[in-house]
Amino acid sequence: MAFNGVNISVEAPIENQIQEITYEGVEIYQPPLTLSESLAKYAQKIDFSKTIEADVKKEDVTDENKSDSDSKDAFQSSLWPWDSVRNKLRNAFQEISVLADVLAIAKDKRYMVLDPVPQEPLETKPMVQIYARKKALAGAANVLLAGAEKLKTSQNEAARNRTTPDFHIELLRLRQNWRLKKVSNTIIGDLSYRTAGSKYLQTGTFEVTKAEEDEKLCSPPGSPGGAPPNKPSSALKVSIPSELQGVAYIEVLCQKDQEDLCSASINLLGSGAPSSNPDMHWQQKLEAAQNVLFCKELFNQLAKEAVELQAPIPHMVVGNQIMATVLPGIQLIIALRHSTSAEKKQEKPSPSKSEHDHVLEHSLHQLLREVHHKNTHHPFPHPATGPLGPSKKRMMAGPMAADRYELLEMTKQEKLLEQIVKQAQHFIMRMRTEYVLDTIAKEFKDPLISSHWNTLNSPTQSCVKINISTHGYDAVCRTPLVIHVGEKSLKCICRDGKVMNMSYEPQELRDLIFCHINQHQILAVQALAKTMGWQCLGNSNHLGSGPVEPLGNAASCLLVSPTGDRIIAVRCEPQASGLQVAVAHSPRTDFIPTRLVLERKWEHLGGQFRDVRLDKMEGKNFLHKMELLMASLTSNS
Amino acid sequence: MTSRALPQSKEALLKSYRTRLKDDVKSMLENFEEIIKLAKGEHDTQLSRLTQCEQDTYEMHVRSANIVRAGESLMKLVSDIKQYLILNDFPSVNEAITQNSKLFRTKQAECDQKLMSLRDDMAADLYDLEEEYYSSINK
Repeated sequence: MAFNGVNISVEAPIENQIQEITYEGVEIYQPPLTLSESLAKYAQKIDFSKTIEADVKKEDVTDENKSDSDSKDAFQSSLWPWDSVRNKLRNAFQEISVLADVLAIAKDKRYMVLDPVPQEPLETKPMVQIYARKKALAGAANVLLAGAEKLKTSQNEAARNRTTPDFHIELLRLRQNWRLKKVSNTIIGDLSYRTAGSKYLQTGTFEVTKAEEDEKLCSPPGSPGGAPPNKPSSALKVSIPSELQGVAYIEVLCQKDQEDLCSASINLLGSGAPSSNPDMHWQQKLEAAQNVLFCKELFNQLAKEAVELQAPIPHMVVGNQIMATVLPGIQLIIALRHSTSAEKKQEKPSPSKSEHDHVLEHSLHQLLREVHHKNTHHPFPHPATGPLGPSKKRMMAGPMAADRYELLEMTKQEKLLEQIVKQAQHFIMRMRTEYVLDTIAKEFKDPLISSHWNTLNSPTQSCVKINISTHGYDAVCRTPLVIHVGEKSLKCICRDGKVMNMSYEPQELRDLIFCHINQHQILAVQALAKTMGWQCLGNSNHLGSGPVEPLGNAASCLLVSPTGDRIIAVRCEPQASGLQVAVAHSPRTDFIPTRLVLERKWEHLGGQFRDVRLDKMEGKNFLHKMELLMASLTSNS
Repeated sequence: MTSRALPQSKEALLKSYRTRLKDDVKSMLENFEEIIKLAKGEHDTQLSRLTQCEQDTYEMHVRSANIVRAGESLMKLVSDIKQYLILNDFPSVNEAITQNSKLFRTKQAECDQKLMSLRDDMAADLYDLEEEYYSSINK
């Protein structure tokens, strides 16, 4: 309170403190302190700790603070005036009781002995001290040796167990094959295809941990799959999120009214032990998880497209299944099968579905990879500014002033589903074509129908070459046909260069082949006639006469023998191989003049045609029979 | 032991490795020195000699245990650094990737070649077989 030497006397106010003001405005004062009360008040202001010298010194420094706290104390004092005194006394009491306890124990002389502090330190012999020190050093040395031993054994253990590579070597191998990074104390890996261009949102993170020692010990007897026993005891453990565990594959089925035409199941791992063994090697485990992720992405993409695409018959997405109509009555079903660890692979494709189509399997796989590839590999040139990705055509669109239509055309991209549907369509078309050709080849023995499938083909285009020929007369006449099998249509290039376009209905192809068989027969007869020295008087592929054919037109030809006295007429109807052969003689060998035909020369005009019953004739096939017929007619003349 | 306080930047992490190394080595050295000092036994205390001996014994034990601990901590540091190196050694990773891609490329080429030759063989055989089948009587 001593500021600049000006002294201010502080006294208690004359008025007493107001305790309460009643509603009428009457002030009730506190009664003045009695003598004892004021004594108590002052007594509790005494700070006993101040007796210590340091505190007294400090007092000066914190004078002002003190005064504040003093006043506070004064204020609190009304609650418990003798508080600090009580505290001091209690502390003293505690110390005294502790002393008493100590004395009591010391008196007992069982647990504690009081020794007088020797004024002169007891002189121990230096040898004892040395021994003691020696012992202490030996103890310390033991601790050090034990520690060193422990380190050494752990090193030896690692060296001896070369079969189980050490954690860091495994980690290095893992790092070389997978992306890893350290997040705080854990090592996190990434098995998604994000770096390969995938834009799938699901993260494929896994965690790498050190395998526990005991786990390592108990795992070797496992692995019933004939794997090397030391394989599972890897020093490294990967934990994969539950949604990526297990085995997944995509099943592709072509269904025709609840009846499977074919099925393909994609299982990138193959069927080779995809069991989700808990102690599988990490590489297989990660590959399995990556496969699951891939299948999920593929299915997700397909499902999204199925919903987006506006097909004439809308695609259906139900649960884990997409249904798309390929051709009328034929559906393509793509399903995601994901079996988690519990049930292994007991739902293997049933025997009826065992007909795997590895082409469909492969192409689905390939399609998504292609999308990934496109996402990362942008066409050159890469602009220094501006977005990456648009194709070269698109970049040229600006300078070339492309119009809206052209730009819209550019944005159209074939979706995965469309592509796979096309491939499935092609697959069905190819199967149908094969079936038609084979059945026709089986039905017809006379002209041989042989088909050769072209080796070079694309997923949506293939080509078959058909040869119609007669056994033994290949050199005389052959009718080649080429059929291009597309996605929804067939294109047939005929012998004469005509191009026929057909739809997906197999009957059309069948009819076409029938027509060509007919044509072949007629042409073959003519060619044969030429080699026999016969002449062809005329032929017509589309004969107008005769009964109306249900399919195409009948073809015919007229042949005359070298001497001109024999005529053979051949008529060929496409339906049911209706071959009719008729023979006419002119002039007849025996001439009897009648009333109407007086002279022999009139017989050259030609006479009656008589049917030849081909089925009764000798000969392996039609051409052979014709050859024999011609030969016999020639020799007779 | 320095606390591994999740260093954000690599720099800080490396620094922490360095300090850990120094701390551990220093701790080893200091503890050893202290043990030697104790072995000398030239300190005047008020304690009785026997008590002093006991204390020295105890201290030596603790100090030697400290040395062992520092050693193990160094081992841990080695393993941590190894891990760090493995995870952050991008040149070697790149090398591994290049090697792998080269390996797979050659494998791919090999497979392609094999498949091609197989396809050619099969195509030739198929042609013959088709020829035979379609011209045979048993279809």
